[in-house]
Amino acid sequence: MSAVPNTLYTRLSALQWVGLILAILIAGLGFILGIVQKVVLQELIFYTAATFALVIWTWNAYVAPHAKFGAEDSGDGPSGFALARAFAYRHRVLIVALLVILGIFLIASATVTGFFNWLNIVTFLVLCALLVFTVQVSQLFVDNRSAFIGLMVLITMFTVGSIFIEGFSSGQNIKSMLLFAAFLGLACVGQTLVALLGGLDLSIPFVIGASNVFLLYLIGLGMYSWIAIVIVLLLGALIGWLNGILSYRLQGQALILTLGIGFAVSGLTQIVTSIGSAFAGNVFGVVPNWLKNLAAMNGTTFGLSIPPVILIWAVVAIVLVYGMKNTVYGRYLYALGGNRTSAARLSISERRYWVIAYMVSGTVAALTGVLLLGWSGGGFIGVGQPYLFMTLAAVVMGGTSLLGGQGGYGFTVIGVLVLQVLTSFLVGMGLKFEWQQFIFGLLILPMVALYARSPHIRTQI
Amino acid sequence: MNEGSSTAPASASSSTYMLVPILLLFLLLIIAVLRSPNLISPAGIGSAVIVLTPLALATYALMALAIAGRGTVDLSIGPLMGFINVTLVVLSGMGALESPVAFFLYAIAVGVAYQLLMALIIVYVRVQPIIVALSGYLALSGINLVILPRPGGTAPEWMSSWGLGTTLDSPILVILVLSTAAWLVFTSTAFYGHLRLMGSDERAAYTSGVRITIVRLGAHCIAGVFAALAALTYTALIGSGDPTQGTTYTLISVTALVLGGTSLAGGRGGVIGSLLGAVNLFLIGYVLATFSFGAVQGFVTDLAYGLILVLSLLLTVAIPWLQRRITNISPTIIFIVMSILFAGVILHAKFDYGRPAPPVVASDASAPDAAATAAIAVDAAQTIAEAQPFAASALGAASPTVGPDAIAATGFFFEETGASDEASSMLARPIALSLLLAIALLIVARAMVLQTRQRRFSPRMVYILISLLVLAAYLAWDNSHMPPSLAVTPVSPPVPAAPASTEATVPVEAPVGAPAGAASQPDATPPAKEGT
Repeated sequence: MSAVPNTLYTRLSALQWVGLILAILIAGLGFILGIVQKVVLQELIFYTAATFALVIWTWNAYVAPHAKFGAEDSGDGPSGFALARAFAYRHRVLIVALLVILGIFLIASATVTGFFNWLNIVTFLVLCALLVFTVQVSQLFVDNRSAFIGLMVLITMFTVGSIFIEGFSSGQNIKSMLLFAAFLGLACVGQTLVALLGGLDLSIPFVIGASNVFLLYLIGLGMYSWIAIVIVLLLGALIGWLNGILSYRLQGQALILTLGIGFAVSGLTQIVTSIGSAFAGNVFGVVPNWLKNLAAMNGTTFGLSIPPVILIWAVVAIVLVYGMKNTVYGRYLYALGGNRTSAARLSISERRYWVIAYMVSGTVAALTGVLLLGWSGGGFIGVGQPYLFMTLAAVVMGGTSLLGGQGGYGFTVIGVLVLQVLTSFLVGMGLKFEWQQFIFGLLILPMVALYARSPHIRTQI
Repeated sequence: MNEGSSTAPASASSSTYMLVPILLLFLLLIIAVLRSPNLISPAGIGSAVIVLTPLALATYALMALAIAGRGTVDLSIGPLMGFINVTLVVLSGMGALESPVAFFLYAIAVGVAYQLLMALIIVYVRVQPIIVALSGYLALSGINLVILPRPGGTAPEWMSSWGLGTTLDSPILVILVLSTAAWLVFTSTAFYGHLRLMGSDERAAYTSGVRITIVRLGAHCIAGVFAALAALTYTALIGSGDPTQGTTYTLISVTALVLGGTSLAGGRGGVIGSLLGAVNLFLIGYVLATFSFGAVQGFVTDLAYGLILVLSLLLTVAIPWLQRRITNISPTIIFIVMSILFAGVILHAKFDYGRPAPPVVASDASAPDAAATAAIAVDAAQTIAEAQPFAASALGAASPTVGPDAIAATGFFFEETGASDEASSMLARPIALSLLLAIALLIVARAMVLQTRQRRFSPRMVYILISLLVLAAYLAWDNSHMPPSLAVTPVSPPVPAAPASTEATVPVEAPVGAPAGAASQPDATPPAKEGT
């Protein structure tokens, strides 16, 4: 309020009064409901005060800048109606979103018995508050808006999850969420790099499955496990190299080409591992303990009870986020993704960076397959299947543009965490896999629509 | 594949891209016929049509969208087909959809509604199409499993006879031919021109006054209709509901799309290429099923799909190079030349090896060997159907019908041992026929080389083609011991599809069909499995 000049105060006071009454009403409603539900009095007072403050702040945060805007636009003093209309137009997205949430809430209250309780009302208010906060603050961001929105969604999901699901915010659950997020996050490394150049790599899930099976096959042959892992990683790099070389001239069709390579790799691995085996498609071997410890839920890192794979992911993430901003390779990658022609003028070799990005992708996918072997303890070619579209979804949700040049691994980390928390939340709510998939599908679109809309055609001419 | 012949002359821009699918088609056809001659028979072609129609129609849907540009690859085509399939089966199970008309209307309405929704999001929310498709993929494959948790249910009774594939003249063939013809008619409208313009350069289309919103919506509507028909034929094929086929059909139809020479960048693509792509994919599965790889069959199929996809993509890189050097060879000529070759191969397969081995020779190792091979092939086809969720569905679905065919496989020519003297006199007629064919087609080829640059045929060409058609019809009709309906069918499908303007390759397939009909003539050697 301090930013608003004094001259506007007289005009605002009426609106402020409305806000005050609204806040008292809402807080009073919460208070009465709390008494009805026999909440502890101290908590009740605290929540009432918090609700009151929140409503007042929200109201003023909106009314003040808006009233200023209205006063400047219409010289002879805005009428109440025009004011309201201008206000509604400026915040149409937010108002629609709030109305939608309110509508869902009311419908659910009316239809589902027992829905209208203290817990759900608090959740509803928290959702509304976070929504208002997100939309309002995200306007201040220019560059990293998607990251901020993703972060807010993450916080919202986590808050709602903690309210609804017992043990959601327990250490054990967070650890397991991070563990699965680590696998997904590692699988997304290559996808992010490739997407920064405007390509796509759909061979990742197949490479994960193939390296998973092939490593166990090599170990089963009696090879030292570390040598086997090095071989598998090299093979992953080789597949990535092949992807890069072959798709360089077909950049628009990298999606399909990598899919084909993925098919071939997956088939070839299974043929190789089936030779001389009576159980085609099944590979037997004993996973060494240190590899199990690396990825298992109860693994320890130097005595700490954190699975090492989480730390591996953290290190990879830090190196990538720092490296992409501060190394020549990272800078040039962005340069190429942003504008090929100007990058070529700087004599940046497009082919070299394209191939290297795919090689990194193949190697990290193979690494993910190796770690997944440690986690599951048995080889399975289909272990990468969930990652076929999940990597894409995480990259897109994080805010990396599939057209290249925008985004980064830090964004993808946020996307991965959002997906993982959402999965845990849906699992905790008792939803089956198919419902999870359905909700994922419906959520990707609005997430992308928030920040990755392409400009209208008439602005491109 | 008789229905593959209902083609118009490929337009100049896309013609060179058709070379790869055509060459691949005949390569695969030759191998397939040598391995399993029964493919070229009413039953063989009939079952092939049943199996490949859903794939072909799904590819058409993808093609209509790919032409519209913006890198639209509708990954959700498989789940959409699954959604229509599942809801159809569930609704008809509840007794809600009884009549065929309601069935079709419902399917088409759902397909168009979904695609329109997608188009509206692409146009007004302005999100990249691939993300919309991805979103739809996840949402639909989730909801499919909710509607029908596991494969089950039955298609309505009137549909049950559609999926048998014992004869050629099934309603499914009609749907395929009509869809293909509808697209070919559509290509002569202004709307199609707008669509291609928008696909190849959206900004140019916008600045020249094309209402790109309408065009994009229209493209999605067409794709919706194709998707709905694909779902219907798919329902007829499996005769039940299956919510899990989404991934498979998406990946296979995208592969078929690319094999068919459609550009994913937009602006280029055609129904003939897509059909060829789908037929090729079917044949890859078919050929692989005739080889016995034992337990690794499914893996070999994966490998083959992947490699062929990659190779055909790489070949499109070589096309501009090829285009500079090969200026006077049109795909149509290649098609005809390959047809002659293929006709010869069919004759070879039918008359040289198709006969039952004489009892004396039967003691030779080859006959039981071949039988064993065939049995393994049947086994393997079923293994794929169960074990491999990926890539092998067309094949897996085919296995019940392909299986019996594979029994007829007698191996490559080098395995052949049963030649005897008495056969040589019986071979006179087919050899004469093939000579006649070769000469006639050489004339055709010669005439066509002269007029590569023209889109219409000269009257002389028309006469030659019509006489060939008549000859083929005569040869097929001559079968006294075949039921008339069967004797006619190998030739009849191209006839309605062949317009009076004598499109390029229509009649060419007729000679291919003719030996198949002639094969079971009483005076010629009766092939082994026709009798049994």
